[in-house]
Amino acid sequence: MTPRDHKYYWIGFAVIIAALAIAPLVLPPYWQRFLTEILIWGLLAMSSDILIGYTGMVSFGHSAFFGLGMYGAAAALLMFKPANMWLAFVFGLTGAALVAMFVAYFSTRLRDIYFAITTLIFSQIFYVIIFTWTDVTGGENGLSFSRPQLGIPGVWTTPFTGETMHWFVLAVVAGSYLILRRITQSPFGMVLQSIRENEPRTRAIGYPVERYKIVAVMLSGMFAGLAGVLYAIQNRFAAPDFVHFLLSGEAVIFNVMGGIGTLVGPIVGAGFFLLLREFLGRLFGEQFPYLIPLGFIFIVMIIFLPQGLLGFARRWLNR
Amino acid sequence: MRFGGLTALNNVNFQINRGEVRAIIGANGAGKSTFFNCLTGVLRPTSGRILLNGENVAGMPSNKISQRGMARSYQITNILPNATTLENVRIAAQSRRHGWSMLKHRDGYRDLIDKAEAVLDSVGLRPKADELAANLSHGEQRNLEIGIALATEPQLLCLDEPTAGMSGAETHETMQLVRSIAKNLTILIVEHDMQVVMELCNQITVLHYGEILAQGTPAEIQQNARVQEVYLKT
Repeated sequence: MTPRDHKYYWIGFAVIIAALAIAPLVLPPYWQRFLTEILIWGLLAMSSDILIGYTGMVSFGHSAFFGLGMYGAAAALLMFKPANMWLAFVFGLTGAALVAMFVAYFSTRLRDIYFAITTLIFSQIFYVIIFTWTDVTGGENGLSFSRPQLGIPGVWTTPFTGETMHWFVLAVVAGSYLILRRITQSPFGMVLQSIRENEPRTRAIGYPVERYKIVAVMLSGMFAGLAGVLYAIQNRFAAPDFVHFLLSGEAVIFNVMGGIGTLVGPIVGAGFFLLLREFLGRLFGEQFPYLIPLGFIFIVMIIFLPQGLLGFARRWLNR
Repeated sequence: MRFGGLTALNNVNFQINRGEVRAIIGANGAGKSTFFNCLTGVLRPTSGRILLNGENVAGMPSNKISQRGMARSYQITNILPNATTLENVRIAAQSRRHGWSMLKHRDGYRDLIDKAEAVLDSVGLRPKADELAANLSHGEQRNLEIGIALATEPQLLCLDEPTAGMSGAETHETMQLVRSIAKNLTILIVEHDMQVVMELCNQITVLHYGEILAQGTPAEIQQNARVQEVYLKT
């Protein structure tokens, strides 16, 4: 990236963040909430881009990481009175990281479709555990709890409103993006991309490929868990539906629609997908199977826009 | 080394001394590439030992063997096509240091870039540093192969037909290149061009159906009656 490109990149970044920060002040509450959710789903999709786009491993296990973040947050918010936001993050991230380590240890020996299927099976195992272990997880009904306060307990706190929730989510997602972007530009990120391009060769020049993959899965899983914590705080519940692999599938679709290997693409993909679904639902009414036209649009996009919405800017965004 | 009922390599036993340039020759199917794959950890030998500086590396994964100082190039070009020439070499150099760094931009590692540029200088690809590797000519990609291997700072370099598919002029250049790097390295080379082998190497091992048919200096091999019969008869 030339210095001028650099300047344009950061101007673009600042404009988008500013627009997203002002949005809740002008949007009605429904759409304000909708936008916050897009950011959270975008974070989930972005976390899986580390594996799909940069390491070349398609994971269908991200619902497990997301779900563990969610249930971890729930555990912290139910166990400690008064509820503490930071403990929710500690519990959620620890839960997601432990599960990611477990899944990574067994699945990274496998490649391609075998990796994808293994992650899918693991996420279903966690789904069944959470669904059936009613005493602890609330089973099918999930867990509900009240929102913690935003701030540092004892120093300064303020209740989460629609606006503060949105700004908080925006700050976390933007921070995560900057961290993930830096990781993909680092020597470590280069190794991941080298694994994607040519795994045997990467091993032959001296990299312990499995270890790199395990760390990549853990990193990716932790950011997925972070999205889960945010979702739990926003919606005040944790439910087994969010551990089901269908959610992992949606994360993959967000990636493909928005453009893999770009980090921002998956967020754009999540926004595009969710808005399109909302729009089609309103156009045809909830009774109509509006997912059919959505699927059709997805297929057309795969054929005519295989790189995704932001695929054209991939090289530029990764400089 | 056995594959099911086929014994691909049997009782291949020799020693290569520091500073030596040794060729392995033999007809197609003699086991040359299988031998390289055993050496570099792509295949796990069914039995036997491979000693590198006195340590048995047989059966180790290829990344560990690489870290112990053995590097190879491939008969079929094996590079990162979507990375630039410089990145290809740099990522190899990076396997010795900084590989796990996550929070600093890749352009901030001057030592790696310097190393990669020095390697590109030595293989004559410095002018093409920012080209995508996929856009290089075949001969340039073959030299990049050698560059990637060199960037890992090996003690023993295994070259699997470095001139495969090259024109006469390119072959000549690559041989100059190998000769210049041979000054500070131990080299094991699989090569079909007998003239090249005779000029370049001080030791030759002839493989025939997975076994050693003969070993010796180029002059000895040329005069060996059995080698003449099975291999050099054309």
